[in-house]
Amino acid sequence: MGLLRQRKQPAFKGSGLVVFADVHEAMKAEQVLKGADYGVRLVAPPPALRKGCDLAIEMNLVEQFGIERLFREKDVAYVEILPLAASASQPLDVVKVTDFGDWFMVTAGNMKVTFNKETGVIVNTSGGGCPDIPYLHAELVDRRLAEAPDPKDIGFTLCALMLHRALQECLVLWDGGDGS
Amino acid sequence: MMLIAGTFPDGNLPLMVGEVRTEDGHLVIQGRRLPCMQGSGAMMSAAVAVAEYLKLDPPQAVVAGDIGQGKGSRAIYEYLIQNVNALAPEVLALHYWLPDMELTRKLCEAVDRCGRRPVMVADAASMYSAKAAGLAPSFDIFTPDATEMAFLADPDATHPAYIARHLFDTDITRTPRLVETAYANNSAATLLLVKGAVDYVVRSGEIVDTIDEPDVPALEAIGGTGDTITGLVSAFVYAGLEAHEAAAIAARANRMAGQFAGATPAHRISDIIDQFPAVFREYLCQWSGVCCTGTEGEHDD
Repeated sequence: MGLLRQRKQPAFKGSGLVVFADVHEAMKAEQVLKGADYGVRLVAPPPALRKGCDLAIEMNLVEQFGIERLFREKDVAYVEILPLAASASQPLDVVKVTDFGDWFMVTAGNMKVTFNKETGVIVNTSGGGCPDIPYLHAELVDRRLAEAPDPKDIGFTLCALMLHRALQECLVLWDGGDGS
Repeated sequence: MMLIAGTFPDGNLPLMVGEVRTEDGHLVIQGRRLPCMQGSGAMMSAAVAVAEYLKLDPPQAVVAGDIGQGKGSRAIYEYLIQNVNALAPEVLALHYWLPDMELTRKLCEAVDRCGRRPVMVADAASMYSAKAAGLAPSFDIFTPDATEMAFLADPDATHPAYIARHLFDTDITRTPRLVETAYANNSAATLLLVKGAVDYVVRSGEIVDTIDEPDVPALEAIGGTGDTITGLVSAFVYAGLEAHEAAAIAARANRMAGQFAGATPAHRISDIIDQFPAVFREYLCQWSGVCCTGTEGEHDD
């Protein structure tokens, strides 16, 4: 006699959820993400997070930045990306400016960008821990603020998102804003 | 064996395993030169500096290229999961990689199966995934900065970008309260070295040391100065120091190297690393009792 076995759900725990307005778009997104080697799975969103359809994609929240860019490139329409469990529903948007005399250091979340006040050249980036951060460090340091690549375009992780925000604030300071 | 794992920002770098040494300001693994820069490069360079000075076995490294897409990170996870038991490291230091909670869980299970459990050190995103997966107590040492300390104290955050706004503060004076919360939530390693204007050494929830001299504020701006501390701690533990002693000496050595370099926000991490041998010669005996008699690195204890 055959035994009925319950199909085991994969143990994937990605900590983030992409929410869609309709099922078709959710399935298209899954194909796009899997095609780009992202570890994802289709799930039913928790009731509290339902924004449209009853199909969402569980993903590694750290990869939010790269996934958002991929969706833009592939014309995938999604409602939003949310943390499955977090005190905050949106990434931090607080920045702090430290005056080092000849240099400003701008901190956004766990990332910092430091530039020379006179030349506008980025002299350092620091903080973070995701693998795109050393890459972005190499790409940004010694570049003028206005000429530096935006981590939004070449980064993949939430650390890169924080670096993008710090860089944006540097540009505001460089253009004569007060940085507040 | 001291085993160090982390990614390098080179998408074409394959998984490589081997002894790591320094040559002309670069790291060399299996004959391949890697940059001594922010991230795992700085961390490994600091560990090599300690090993060379104390004439320890050179660190063994597991590295792979990754610019944020995760492939190299996963190769490192998989290698460690399959081989950590056979390698039997005394110290296992984990650093930059794409945080993956499931693979971190598998790695911790593999470590639990080791005949002799290594001292587990985590910094950067390996610390993020350990905390996010609820595995922080499986680690012996974390080396967070002030923002990352807030992340550890936030029970729900899986990355520092998502910490609660009220917890985000770079003010290091709040560290004791955050430390208390992190331990209450089981989100801290046995020992924390919290890096900042004041460095806190915390053992099982109790602050056992603080270091605030020399005061070199520019170190915060220099990419890699947190990474070097992690490399120093790992190597000093491998040398036989207690974790809290290793942490305090690492914090002092990093500050002193910054002072020796006359650090400004525009200095590079290699400028700081270059100073470690001179710092060790002048202070290591005084700080740790690990003393040398004339010849560099020759122990007399």
